[in-house]
Amino acid sequence: MSEILSIQGLSKSYKSVKAVQNLSLQISEGQAYGILGPNGSGKTTTLSIVTGILRQDGGSFRWFGEAPEASQRKSIGSLIETPHFYPYLNLEKNLRIICDIKGMAYGDIHRVLKTAKLYERRRSRFSTLSLGMKQRLGIAAALLGDPRVLVLDEPTNGLDPEGIAEVREVVLEQVKQGKTLILASHILSEVEKICNHVAILKKGELLANGPVKELLAEDEIIELSCSNNEKLKEKLGNSGLVKELETENGLLVLTLKDKITPAEINAFAFEQKLVIHHLVSRKRSLESQFLELVKEEE
Amino acid sequence: MIKRLLHIEQIKLLNYNPFRITLGIYFLAFALGLLIYPAIDKEIPVISLSDLFRFPDVWLFLTWITEPYNLLLALVIIMITTKEFNHHTFKTQLVFGLSRTELLLQKLILIVVLALFATLLLGATSLTLGLIYSYKITLSIALDNTYTLFRYFLSSFAYMSMGLLVALLIKNTAMSLLTFLAFRTFIDPVLFLVLRKSEVKWYLPMRTTTQLTPVPNVIEIFQKKLNSPDTVDESSLEIIPEGLPDWLNILMVVLFTSLAIWASYRLMQRRRFV
Repeated sequence: MSEILSIQGLSKSYKSVKAVQNLSLQISEGQAYGILGPNGSGKTTTLSIVTGILRQDGGSFRWFGEAPEASQRKSIGSLIETPHFYPYLNLEKNLRIICDIKGMAYGDIHRVLKTAKLYERRRSRFSTLSLGMKQRLGIAAALLGDPRVLVLDEPTNGLDPEGIAEVREVVLEQVKQGKTLILASHILSEVEKICNHVAILKKGELLANGPVKELLAEDEIIELSCSNNEKLKEKLGNSGLVKELETENGLLVLTLKDKITPAEINAFAFEQKLVIHHLVSRKRSLESQFLELVKEEE
Repeated sequence: MIKRLLHIEQIKLLNYNPFRITLGIYFLAFALGLLIYPAIDKEIPVISLSDLFRFPDVWLFLTWITEPYNLLLALVIIMITTKEFNHHTFKTQLVFGLSRTELLLQKLILIVVLALFATLLLGATSLTLGLIYSYKITLSIALDNTYTLFRYFLSSFAYMSMGLLVALLIKNTAMSLLTFLAFRTFIDPVLFLVLRKSEVKWYLPMRTTTQLTPVPNVIEIFQKKLNSPDTVDESSLEIIPEGLPDWLNILMVVLFTSLAIWASYRLMQRRRFV
Protein backbone atom coordinates (compact mmCIF):
# COMPACT_ATOMS: atom_id res chain seq x y z
CA MET A 1 0.00 0.00 0.00
CA SER A 2 1.52 3.27 -1.07
CA GLU A 3 1.56 6.29 1.17
CA ILE A 4 -1.12 8.90 0.57
CA LEU A 5 -0.76 11.35 3.41
CA SER A 6 1.86 11.41 6.07
CA ILE A 7 1.67 13.97 8.87
CA GLN A 8 4.68 14.51 11.11
CA GLY A 9 4.53 16.43 14.39
CA LEU A 10 1.98 18.96 13.11
CA SER A 11 1.22 21.92 15.41
CA LYS A 12 -1.02 24.94 15.07
CA SER A 13 -2.08 27.56 17.60
CA TYR A 14 -4.59 30.37 17.46
CA LYS A 15 -3.24 32.89 19.90
CA SER A 16 -3.47 31.06 23.23
CA VAL A 17 -5.46 28.09 21.96
CA LYS A 18 -3.43 25.09 20.87
CA ALA A 19 -5.58 23.73 18.06
CA VAL A 20 -3.28 20.90 17.00
CA GLN A 21 -0.37 19.61 19.04
CA ASN A 22 2.40 17.46 17.66
CA LEU A 23 0.07 15.34 15.56
CA SER A 24 1.43 12.49 13.48
CA LEU A 25 -0.66 10.29 11.19
CA GLN A 26 0.01 7.92 8.32
CA ILE A 27 -2.68 7.30 5.75
CA SER A 28 -2.18 4.69 3.04
CA GLU A 29 -3.82 4.06 -0.30
CA GLY A 30 -7.27 2.55 -0.08
CA GLN A 31 -7.81 3.29 3.59
CA ALA A 32 -11.02 4.82 4.82
CA TYR A 33 -9.48 6.87 7.56
CA GLY A 34 -11.71 8.48 10.14
CA ILE A 35 -10.59 11.38 12.28
CA LEU A 36 -12.87 11.30 15.27
CA GLY A 37 -13.10 13.86 17.99
CA PRO A 38 -15.47 16.21 19.76
CA ASN A 39 -15.94 19.79 18.59
CA GLY A 40 -12.78 21.81 18.94
CA SER A 41 -10.47 18.81 18.87
CA GLY A 42 -8.49 20.07 15.89
CA LYS A 43 -10.03 17.99 13.09
CA THR A 44 -10.87 20.90 10.81
CA THR A 45 -7.59 22.66 11.57
CA THR A 46 -5.66 19.53 10.59
CA LEU A 47 -7.58 19.11 7.35
CA SER A 48 -7.30 22.85 6.59
CA ILE A 49 -3.54 22.61 6.87
CA VAL A 50 -3.19 19.59 4.60
CA THR A 51 -5.50 21.17 2.01
CA GLY A 52 -3.47 24.37 1.88
CA ILE A 53 -5.89 26.77 3.56
CA LEU A 54 -3.87 27.23 6.73
CA ARG A 55 -0.16 27.26 7.43
CA GLN A 56 1.09 25.10 10.27
CA ASP A 57 3.25 26.53 13.05
CA GLY A 58 5.35 23.41 13.29
CA GLY A 59 5.77 19.96 11.80
CA SER A 60 5.27 18.88 8.23
CA PHE A 61 3.13 16.76 5.97
CA ARG A 62 3.59 14.98 2.68
CA TRP A 63 1.07 14.09 0.01
CA PHE A 64 1.80 11.02 -2.10
CA GLY A 65 5.28 10.88 -0.56
CA GLU A 66 6.20 14.35 -1.80
CA ALA A 67 6.49 17.78 -0.26
CA PRO A 68 3.15 19.62 -0.42
CA GLU A 69 2.35 21.61 -3.56
CA ALA A 70 -0.82 23.25 -4.81
CA SER A 71 -0.98 21.01 -7.90
CA GLN A 72 -1.29 17.86 -5.72
CA ARG A 73 -4.66 19.13 -4.56
CA LYS A 74 -5.98 18.70 -8.08
CA SER A 75 -6.09 14.96 -7.48
CA ILE A 76 -7.75 15.38 -4.09
CA GLY A 77 -11.46 16.08 -3.71
CA SER A 78 -12.04 18.13 -0.59
CA LEU A 79 -14.91 19.50 1.39
CA ILE A 80 -13.68 21.49 4.37
CA GLU A 81 -16.40 22.74 6.72
CA THR A 82 -19.23 24.44 4.84
CA PRO A 83 -18.81 24.63 1.07
CA HIS A 84 -18.25 28.11 -0.35
CA PHE A 85 -19.19 28.98 -3.91
CA TYR A 86 -20.13 32.10 -5.88
CA PRO A 87 -23.69 32.86 -4.74
CA TYR A 88 -24.68 34.62 -7.97
CA LEU A 89 -23.51 31.79 -10.25
CA ASN A 90 -25.60 28.73 -10.96
CA LEU A 91 -24.42 25.29 -9.89
CA GLU A 92 -23.10 24.35 -13.29
CA LYS A 93 -21.01 27.51 -13.62
CA ASN A 94 -19.66 27.11 -10.11
CA LEU A 95 -18.52 23.60 -10.96
CA ARG A 96 -17.00 24.86 -14.23
CA ILE A 97 -14.72 27.06 -12.17
CA ILE A 98 -13.58 24.00 -10.22
CA CYS A 99 -13.02 22.11 -13.51
CA ASP A 100 -10.91 25.00 -14.80
CA ILE A 101 -8.86 25.02 -11.62
CA LYS A 102 -8.28 21.28 -11.93
CA GLY A 103 -7.56 21.64 -15.62
CA MET A 104 -10.25 19.19 -16.70
CA ALA A 105 -13.08 19.22 -19.23
CA TYR A 106 -16.63 20.06 -18.18
CA GLY A 107 -17.92 16.59 -19.09
CA ASP A 108 -18.00 15.29 -15.54
CA ILE A 109 -20.26 18.02 -14.15
CA HIS A 110 -23.58 16.35 -14.98
CA ARG A 111 -22.48 13.05 -13.46
CA VAL A 112 -21.55 14.54 -10.08
CA LEU A 113 -24.67 16.70 -10.01
CA LYS A 114 -26.76 13.57 -10.57
CA THR A 115 -24.85 11.74 -7.84
CA ALA A 116 -25.58 14.58 -5.44
CA LYS A 117 -29.23 14.66 -6.60
CA LEU A 118 -28.87 18.26 -7.72
CA TYR A 119 -29.13 17.76 -11.47
CA GLU A 120 -32.60 19.32 -11.64
CA ARG A 121 -31.25 22.41 -9.89
CA ARG A 122 -28.19 22.81 -12.09
CA ARG A 123 -29.34 26.17 -13.42
CA SER A 124 -30.28 27.59 -10.01
CA ARG A 125 -28.05 30.12 -8.38
CA PHE A 126 -25.99 28.77 -5.50
CA SER A 127 -27.57 31.34 -3.17
CA THR A 128 -31.02 29.82 -3.70
CA LEU A 129 -30.02 26.40 -2.34
CA SER A 130 -30.96 25.14 1.09
CA LEU A 131 -28.23 24.35 3.60
CA GLY A 132 -28.43 20.63 2.88
CA MET A 133 -28.27 21.21 -0.88
CA LYS A 134 -25.22 23.43 -0.47
CA GLN A 135 -23.58 20.65 1.48
CA ARG A 136 -24.43 18.17 -1.28
CA LEU A 137 -22.97 20.52 -3.89
CA GLY A 138 -19.79 20.58 -1.81
CA ILE A 139 -19.68 16.81 -2.05
CA ALA A 140 -20.42 16.93 -5.79
CA ALA A 141 -17.49 19.33 -6.23
CA ALA A 142 -15.24 16.98 -4.25
CA LEU A 143 -16.22 14.10 -6.56
CA LEU A 144 -15.41 16.08 -9.75
CA GLY A 145 -12.83 14.34 -11.86
CA ASP A 146 -13.04 11.14 -9.85
CA PRO A 147 -10.09 12.00 -7.55
CA ARG A 148 -8.10 9.20 -5.93
CA VAL A 149 -8.36 10.82 -2.51
CA LEU A 150 -11.39 12.34 -0.80
CA VAL A 151 -11.00 14.66 2.17
CA LEU A 152 -14.35 15.25 3.81
CA ASP A 153 -14.85 17.34 6.92
CA GLU A 154 -18.19 16.64 8.58
CA PRO A 155 -19.86 15.85 5.23
CA THR A 156 -23.27 15.16 6.76
CA ASN A 157 -23.45 18.45 8.64
CA GLY A 158 -26.77 20.18 8.17
CA LEU A 159 -28.38 17.31 6.30
CA ASP A 160 -31.69 15.70 7.14
CA PRO A 161 -31.72 11.97 7.99
CA GLU A 162 -32.45 11.03 4.40
CA GLY A 163 -29.64 13.25 3.20
CA ILE A 164 -27.27 11.74 5.73
CA ALA A 165 -28.09 8.25 4.51
CA GLU A 166 -27.60 9.30 0.87
CA VAL A 167 -24.27 10.95 1.52
CA ARG A 168 -23.05 7.93 3.43
CA GLU A 169 -24.06 5.74 0.54
CA VAL A 170 -22.16 7.90 -1.93
CA VAL A 171 -19.08 7.94 0.29
CA LEU A 172 -19.22 4.21 0.93
CA GLU A 173 -19.43 3.62 -2.80
CA GLN A 174 -16.21 5.59 -3.24
CA VAL A 175 -14.54 3.52 -0.52
CA LYS A 176 -15.67 0.32 -2.23
CA GLN A 177 -14.10 1.53 -5.46
CA GLY A 178 -10.81 1.65 -3.61
CA LYS A 179 -10.56 5.41 -3.16
CA THR A 180 -8.70 6.70 -0.16
CA LEU A 181 -11.00 8.53 2.20
CA ILE A 182 -10.09 10.91 4.98
CA LEU A 183 -13.20 11.69 6.97
CA ALA A 184 -13.42 13.99 9.95
CA SER A 185 -16.43 13.59 12.16
CA HIS A 186 -17.66 13.99 15.67
CA ILE A 187 -20.27 11.33 15.08
CA LEU A 188 -19.01 7.99 16.19
CA SER A 189 -21.51 5.89 14.29
CA GLU A 190 -20.58 7.67 11.07
CA VAL A 191 -16.92 6.77 11.44
CA GLU A 192 -17.82 3.27 12.48
CA LYS A 193 -20.08 2.74 9.47
CA ILE A 194 -17.76 4.20 6.85
CA CYS A 195 -14.19 3.88 8.03
CA ASN A 196 -11.83 0.98 8.58
CA HIS A 197 -9.19 3.03 10.35
CA VAL A 198 -9.64 5.70 12.97
CA ALA A 199 -7.64 8.32 14.82
CA ILE A 200 -9.19 9.86 17.89
CA LEU A 201 -8.32 13.47 18.64
CA LYS A 202 -8.93 15.53 21.69
CA LYS A 203 -7.84 19.13 22.22
CA GLY A 204 -5.50 18.82 19.29
CA GLU A 205 -3.77 15.71 20.54
CA LEU A 206 -3.88 12.20 19.22
CA LEU A 207 -5.41 9.93 21.84
CA ALA A 208 -5.42 6.70 19.93
CA ASN A 209 -5.36 5.38 16.41
CA GLY A 210 -5.71 2.03 14.77
CA PRO A 211 -8.16 -0.20 12.91
CA VAL A 212 -11.77 0.55 13.77
CA LYS A 213 -12.33 -3.07 14.76
CA GLU A 214 -9.65 -2.97 17.40
CA LEU A 215 -10.16 0.50 18.69
CA LEU A 216 -13.89 0.60 18.74
CA ALA A 217 -14.41 -3.16 19.19
CA GLU A 218 -17.76 -3.94 20.64
CA ASP A 219 -17.12 -6.20 23.56
CA GLU A 220 -20.22 -8.13 24.38
CA ILE A 221 -21.01 -8.11 28.05
CA ILE A 222 -23.75 -10.22 29.63
CA GLU A 223 -25.00 -10.51 33.15
CA LEU A 224 -26.47 -13.75 34.34
CA SER A 225 -27.58 -15.63 37.36
CA CYS A 226 -28.15 -19.37 37.83
CA SER A 227 -28.85 -21.91 40.51
CA ASN A 228 -25.21 -21.91 41.63
CA ASN A 229 -23.33 -18.79 40.65
CA GLU A 230 -20.09 -19.77 42.39
CA LYS A 231 -19.86 -23.06 40.56
CA LEU A 232 -20.65 -21.50 37.21
CA LYS A 233 -18.04 -18.81 37.80
CA GLU A 234 -15.40 -21.43 38.44
CA LYS A 235 -16.38 -23.49 35.39
CA LEU A 236 -16.54 -20.48 33.09
CA GLY A 237 -13.15 -19.31 34.31
CA ASN A 238 -11.62 -22.45 32.90
CA SER A 239 -13.79 -22.66 29.79
CA GLY A 240 -11.92 -20.20 27.57
CA LEU A 241 -15.16 -18.57 26.55
CA VAL A 242 -14.84 -15.32 28.49
CA LYS A 243 -12.34 -12.51 28.78
CA GLU A 244 -13.38 -11.15 32.13
CA LEU A 245 -15.50 -12.48 34.91
CA GLU A 246 -16.85 -10.58 37.90
CA THR A 247 -19.56 -10.78 40.49
CA GLU A 248 -21.73 -7.73 40.81
CA ASN A 249 -24.72 -7.52 43.18
CA GLY A 250 -25.14 -11.27 43.15
CA LEU A 251 -24.96 -11.42 39.36
CA LEU A 252 -22.15 -12.76 37.20
CA VAL A 253 -20.90 -10.18 34.72
CA LEU A 254 -18.98 -11.68 31.81
CA THR A 255 -17.10 -10.03 29.01
CA LEU A 256 -17.30 -12.49 26.14
CA LYS A 257 -14.47 -13.38 23.86
CA ASP A 258 -14.83 -12.54 20.19
CA LYS A 259 -17.54 -14.42 18.32
CA ILE A 260 -18.88 -16.10 21.45
CA THR A 261 -22.62 -15.68 21.74
CA PRO A 262 -24.80 -15.69 24.86
CA ALA A 263 -26.42 -18.87 23.49
CA GLU A 264 -23.10 -20.69 23.77
CA ILE A 265 -22.80 -19.62 27.39
CA ASN A 266 -26.29 -20.90 28.04
CA ALA A 267 -25.49 -24.24 26.39
CA PHE A 268 -22.26 -24.47 28.36
CA ALA A 269 -24.09 -23.89 31.66
CA PHE A 270 -26.67 -26.48 30.71
CA GLU A 271 -23.92 -29.03 30.07
CA GLN A 272 -22.71 -28.33 33.60
CA LYS A 273 -26.26 -29.03 34.78
CA LEU A 274 -26.70 -25.46 35.87
CA VAL A 275 -29.91 -23.71 34.90
CA ILE A 276 -29.64 -20.05 34.05
CA HIS A 277 -32.67 -18.08 35.14
CA HIS A 278 -31.41 -14.61 34.32
CA LEU A 279 -29.47 -13.59 31.23
CA VAL A 280 -29.25 -10.02 29.97
CA SER A 281 -26.98 -8.70 27.29
CA ARG A 282 -25.28 -5.49 28.35
CA LYS A 283 -23.72 -4.26 25.12
CA ARG A 284 -21.24 -1.57 25.82
CA SER A 285 -22.23 1.02 23.32
CA LEU A 286 -19.57 2.58 21.12
CA GLU A 287 -20.77 5.92 22.27
CA SER A 288 -19.90 5.22 25.87
CA GLN A 289 -16.60 3.71 24.82
CA PHE A 290 -15.78 6.81 22.81
CA LEU A 291 -16.76 9.02 25.69
CA GLU A 292 -14.66 6.89 27.99
CA LEU A 293 -11.68 7.23 25.71
CA VAL A 294 -12.07 10.94 25.54
CA LYS A 295 -12.71 11.32 29.26
CA GLU A 296 -9.74 9.27 30.40
CA GLU A 297 -7.41 12.10 29.60
CA GLU A 298 -9.20 14.71 31.63
CA MET B 1 -2.21 28.23 -17.37
CA ILE B 2 -2.77 31.92 -18.07
CA LYS B 3 -5.65 31.07 -20.34
CA ARG B 4 -7.19 28.86 -17.67
CA LEU B 5 -6.90 31.54 -14.97
CA LEU B 6 -8.39 34.12 -17.30
CA HIS B 7 -11.26 31.82 -18.12
CA ILE B 8 -12.03 31.40 -14.41
CA GLU B 9 -12.17 35.19 -14.04
CA GLN B 10 -14.34 35.40 -17.12
CA ILE B 11 -16.96 33.06 -15.62
CA LYS B 12 -16.93 35.00 -12.36
CA LEU B 13 -17.16 38.44 -13.96
CA LEU B 14 -19.50 38.13 -16.89
CA ASN B 15 -22.22 36.82 -14.60
CA TYR B 16 -21.62 39.38 -11.88
CA ASN B 17 -24.14 42.22 -12.06
CA PRO B 18 -22.10 45.00 -10.44
CA PHE B 19 -19.41 44.28 -13.04
CA ARG B 20 -21.89 44.38 -15.92
CA ILE B 21 -23.32 47.65 -14.65
CA THR B 22 -19.92 49.29 -14.18
CA LEU B 23 -18.85 48.13 -17.62
CA GLY B 24 -22.10 49.50 -19.01
CA ILE B 25 -21.45 52.89 -17.44
CA TYR B 26 -17.94 52.77 -18.81
CA PHE B 27 -19.16 52.15 -22.37
CA LEU B 28 -21.85 54.75 -22.00
CA ALA B 29 -19.28 57.32 -20.91
CA PHE B 30 -17.24 56.68 -24.05
CA ALA B 31 -20.28 56.71 -26.29
CA LEU B 32 -21.47 59.99 -24.75
CA GLY B 33 -18.08 61.43 -25.51
CA LEU B 34 -18.62 60.69 -29.16
CA LEU B 35 -22.12 62.18 -29.21
CA ILE B 36 -22.07 65.02 -26.72
CA TYR B 37 -18.89 66.93 -27.58
CA PRO B 38 -19.96 67.58 -31.16
CA ALA B 39 -23.38 68.68 -29.85
CA ILE B 40 -21.87 71.21 -27.43
CA ASP B 41 -19.79 72.49 -30.30
CA LYS B 42 -22.80 74.02 -32.04
CA GLU B 43 -23.53 76.27 -29.11
CA ILE B 44 -20.13 77.88 -28.79
CA PRO B 45 -19.34 80.43 -31.50
CA VAL B 46 -15.84 81.29 -32.75
CA ILE B 47 -14.00 78.60 -30.85
CA SER B 48 -14.79 75.16 -32.06
CA LEU B 49 -14.38 72.16 -29.80
CA SER B 50 -13.90 70.11 -32.90
CA ASP B 51 -10.47 71.69 -33.16
CA LEU B 52 -9.56 69.47 -30.28
CA PHE B 53 -10.71 66.38 -32.13
CA ARG B 54 -8.24 66.79 -34.96
CA PHE B 55 -5.20 64.68 -35.45
CA PRO B 56 -2.84 64.71 -33.69
CA ASP B 57 -4.44 66.69 -30.84
CA VAL B 58 -7.32 64.28 -30.37
CA TRP B 59 -5.03 61.68 -28.80
CA LEU B 60 -3.88 63.95 -25.99
CA PHE B 61 -7.25 65.54 -25.45
CA LEU B 62 -9.26 62.34 -25.15
CA THR B 63 -6.60 60.70 -23.01
CA TRP B 64 -6.92 63.54 -20.57
CA ILE B 65 -10.75 63.58 -20.68
CA THR B 66 -11.17 59.84 -20.22
CA GLU B 67 -8.55 59.37 -17.52
CA PRO B 68 -11.12 59.37 -14.68
CA TYR B 69 -12.84 56.40 -16.35
CA ASN B 70 -9.88 54.33 -15.20
CA LEU B 71 -11.11 54.83 -11.68
CA LEU B 72 -14.21 52.83 -12.58
CA LEU B 73 -11.97 49.94 -13.60
CA ALA B 74 -10.10 50.17 -10.29
CA LEU B 75 -13.45 50.04 -8.48
CA VAL B 76 -14.30 46.86 -10.41
CA ILE B 77 -11.06 45.26 -9.26
CA ILE B 78 -11.76 46.27 -5.67
CA MET B 79 -15.31 44.88 -5.82
CA ILE B 80 -14.42 41.49 -7.25
CA THR B 81 -11.41 41.03 -4.97
CA THR B 82 -13.21 41.91 -1.76
CA LYS B 83 -16.13 39.70 -2.81
CA GLU B 84 -13.75 36.73 -2.89
CA PHE B 85 -13.16 37.38 0.80
CA ASN B 86 -16.87 37.87 1.50
CA HIS B 87 -17.84 34.64 -0.23
CA HIS B 88 -14.81 32.71 1.09
CA THR B 89 -14.12 31.71 -2.49
CA PHE B 90 -10.36 32.27 -2.24
CA LYS B 91 -10.49 29.34 0.17
CA THR B 92 -12.46 27.17 -2.27
CA GLN B 93 -10.01 27.90 -5.08
CA LEU B 94 -7.06 27.05 -2.85
CA VAL B 95 -8.62 23.76 -1.75
CA PHE B 96 -9.24 22.66 -5.33
CA GLY B 97 -5.69 23.27 -6.39
CA LEU B 98 -4.74 26.90 -7.07
CA SER B 99 -1.69 28.22 -5.29
CA ARG B 100 -1.70 31.54 -3.49
CA THR B 101 0.53 32.94 -6.21
CA GLU B 102 -1.99 31.83 -8.83
CA LEU B 103 -4.76 33.58 -6.89
CA LEU B 104 -2.83 36.83 -7.29
CA LEU B 105 -1.84 36.06 -10.88
CA GLN B 106 -5.52 35.61 -11.71
CA LYS B 107 -6.24 39.19 -10.68
CA LEU B 108 -3.11 40.59 -12.35
CA ILE B 109 -3.99 38.94 -15.65
CA LEU B 110 -7.44 40.45 -15.37
CA ILE B 111 -5.90 43.87 -14.72
CA VAL B 112 -3.75 43.60 -17.85
CA VAL B 113 -6.75 42.53 -19.93
CA LEU B 114 -8.92 45.38 -18.64
CA ALA B 115 -6.13 47.91 -19.17
CA LEU B 116 -5.62 46.68 -22.75
CA PHE B 117 -9.34 46.85 -23.32
CA ALA B 118 -9.53 50.42 -22.00
CA THR B 119 -6.57 51.45 -24.14
CA LEU B 120 -8.05 49.90 -27.27
CA LEU B 121 -11.36 51.61 -26.62
CA LEU B 122 -9.64 54.96 -26.21
CA GLY B 123 -7.60 54.29 -29.35
CA ALA B 124 -10.68 53.41 -31.38
CA THR B 125 -12.62 56.44 -30.10
CA SER B 126 -9.76 58.85 -30.79
CA LEU B 127 -9.22 57.40 -34.24
CA THR B 128 -12.91 57.71 -35.11
CA LEU B 129 -13.18 61.32 -33.94
CA GLY B 130 -9.89 62.19 -35.58
CA LEU B 131 -11.01 60.78 -38.90
CA ILE B 132 -14.28 62.72 -38.69
CA TYR B 133 -12.89 66.14 -37.69
CA SER B 134 -9.46 66.39 -39.30
CA TYR B 135 -9.12 68.52 -42.44
CA LYS B 136 -5.98 66.93 -43.62
CA ILE B 137 -5.02 63.40 -42.81
CA THR B 138 -1.56 62.10 -43.36
CA LEU B 139 -0.16 59.07 -41.67
CA SER B 140 2.51 61.03 -39.80
CA ILE B 141 0.03 63.60 -38.47
CA ALA B 142 -2.55 60.97 -37.59
CA LEU B 143 -0.10 58.83 -35.68
CA ASP B 144 1.71 61.65 -33.95
CA ASN B 145 1.03 61.62 -30.20
CA THR B 146 -0.20 58.01 -30.22
CA TYR B 147 2.46 57.29 -27.57
CA THR B 148 -0.10 58.72 -25.20
CA LEU B 149 -1.96 55.41 -25.47
CA PHE B 150 0.94 53.78 -23.70
CA ARG B 151 0.62 56.34 -20.90
CA TYR B 152 -3.08 55.60 -20.71
CA PHE B 153 -2.41 51.87 -20.42
CA LEU B 154 0.08 52.52 -17.64
CA SER B 155 -2.35 54.83 -15.84
CA SER B 156 -5.11 52.23 -16.04
CA PHE B 157 -2.77 49.45 -14.88
CA ALA B 158 -1.49 51.59 -12.00
CA TYR B 159 -4.96 52.49 -10.71
CA MET B 160 -6.12 48.89 -10.80
CA SER B 161 -2.96 47.62 -9.07
CA MET B 162 -3.44 50.15 -6.30
CA GLY B 163 -7.09 49.10 -6.08
CA LEU B 164 -6.02 45.48 -5.75
CA LEU B 165 -3.66 46.32 -2.91
CA VAL B 166 -6.35 48.28 -1.06
CA ALA B 167 -8.80 45.36 -1.48
CA LEU B 168 -6.32 42.78 -0.18
CA LEU B 169 -5.42 45.05 2.70
CA ILE B 170 -8.92 45.96 3.85
CA LYS B 171 -11.00 42.99 2.61
CA ASN B 172 -14.30 44.79 3.19
CA THR B 173 -15.93 46.04 -0.03
CA ALA B 174 -17.40 49.34 1.13
CA MET B 175 -14.37 50.28 3.23
CA SER B 176 -11.99 49.47 0.39
CA LEU B 177 -13.96 51.52 -2.13
CA LEU B 178 -14.09 54.45 0.28
CA THR B 179 -10.40 54.27 1.10
CA PHE B 180 -9.41 54.15 -2.55
CA LEU B 181 -11.65 57.03 -3.54
CA ALA B 182 -10.58 59.03 -0.50
CA PHE B 183 -6.98 58.64 -1.61
CA ARG B 184 -7.73 59.84 -5.11
CA THR B 185 -10.04 62.71 -4.27
CA PHE B 186 -8.99 63.81 -0.82
CA ILE B 187 -5.87 62.45 0.86
CA ASP B 188 -3.53 62.80 -2.11
CA PRO B 189 -4.75 66.31 -3.07
CA VAL B 190 -4.56 67.50 0.55
CA LEU B 191 -1.04 66.15 0.88
CA PHE B 192 -0.26 67.93 -2.37
CA LEU B 193 -1.38 71.21 -0.85
CA VAL B 194 0.41 70.58 2.43
CA LEU B 195 3.61 69.85 0.57
CA ARG B 196 3.13 72.64 -1.96
CA LYS B 197 6.43 74.33 -1.11
CA SER B 198 8.34 71.11 -1.45
CA GLU B 199 9.23 69.19 -4.60
CA VAL B 200 8.06 66.03 -2.81
CA LYS B 201 4.49 66.92 -3.75
CA TRP B 202 5.16 65.68 -7.29
CA TYR B 203 6.12 62.24 -6.00
CA LEU B 204 2.75 61.28 -4.47
CA PRO B 205 1.38 58.02 -5.96
CA MET B 206 -1.95 59.36 -7.19
CA ARG B 207 -0.43 62.60 -8.40
CA THR B 208 2.20 60.88 -10.51
CA THR B 209 -0.52 58.68 -11.98
CA THR B 210 -2.75 61.62 -12.93
CA GLN B 211 0.34 63.37 -14.32
CA LEU B 212 0.66 60.50 -16.80
CA THR B 213 -2.26 62.00 -18.69
CA PRO B 214 -1.77 65.72 -18.08
CA VAL B 215 -4.02 68.61 -19.02
CA PRO B 216 -3.22 69.58 -22.60
CA ASN B 217 -2.70 73.28 -23.31
CA VAL B 218 -6.13 73.86 -24.71
CA ILE B 219 -5.89 77.66 -24.54
CA GLU B 220 -3.02 77.71 -26.93
CA ILE B 221 -4.87 76.02 -29.73
CA PHE B 222 -7.79 78.39 -29.45
CA GLN B 223 -5.47 81.38 -29.41
CA LYS B 224 -3.84 80.21 -32.59
CA LYS B 225 -7.21 79.74 -34.10
CA LEU B 226 -8.36 83.25 -33.12
CA ASN B 227 -5.24 84.92 -34.41
CA SER B 228 -5.48 83.35 -37.82
CA PRO B 229 -9.00 82.11 -38.26
CA ASP B 230 -8.59 81.10 -41.88
CA THR B 231 -5.46 79.05 -41.78
CA VAL B 232 -5.78 75.37 -41.57
CA ASP B 233 -3.22 74.95 -38.91
CA GLU B 234 -2.40 71.47 -37.75
CA SER B 235 -1.26 72.80 -34.44
CA SER B 236 -0.20 70.23 -31.99
CA LEU B 237 -1.34 70.46 -28.42
CA GLU B 238 1.36 71.04 -25.95
CA ILE B 239 1.35 69.79 -22.46
CA ILE B 240 1.63 72.54 -19.87
CA PRO B 241 5.02 71.85 -18.34
CA GLU B 242 4.45 70.95 -14.76
CA GLY B 243 5.84 68.54 -12.23
CA LEU B 244 8.48 65.94 -12.83
CA PRO B 245 10.24 65.38 -16.11
CA ASP B 246 8.29 62.95 -18.18
CA TRP B 247 10.66 60.00 -17.88
CA LEU B 248 10.95 60.42 -14.10
CA ASN B 249 7.18 60.60 -13.73
CA ILE B 250 6.73 57.38 -15.72
CA LEU B 251 9.48 55.76 -13.68
CA MET B 252 7.76 56.77 -10.45
CA VAL B 253 4.45 55.26 -11.59
CA VAL B 254 6.20 52.04 -12.58
CA LEU B 255 7.87 52.03 -9.18
CA PHE B 256 4.60 52.61 -7.28
CA THR B 257 2.83 49.95 -9.33
CA SER B 258 5.61 47.44 -8.70
CA LEU B 259 5.44 48.23 -4.99
CA ALA B 260 1.67 47.73 -4.98
CA ILE B 261 2.03 44.35 -6.72
CA TRP B 262 4.84 43.27 -4.41
CA ALA B 263 2.81 44.23 -1.33
CA SER B 264 -0.23 42.43 -2.78
CA TYR B 265 1.91 39.33 -3.28
CA ARG B 266 3.09 39.42 0.32
CA LEU B 267 -0.45 39.91 1.59
CA MET B 268 -1.76 37.06 -0.55
CA GLN B 269 0.87 34.71 0.87
CA ARG B 270 -0.02 35.62 4.45
CA ARG B 271 -3.79 36.08 4.42
CA ARG B 272 -5.95 33.60 6.25
CA PHE B 273 -8.74 32.48 3.96
CA VAL B 274 -10.79 30.53 6.50
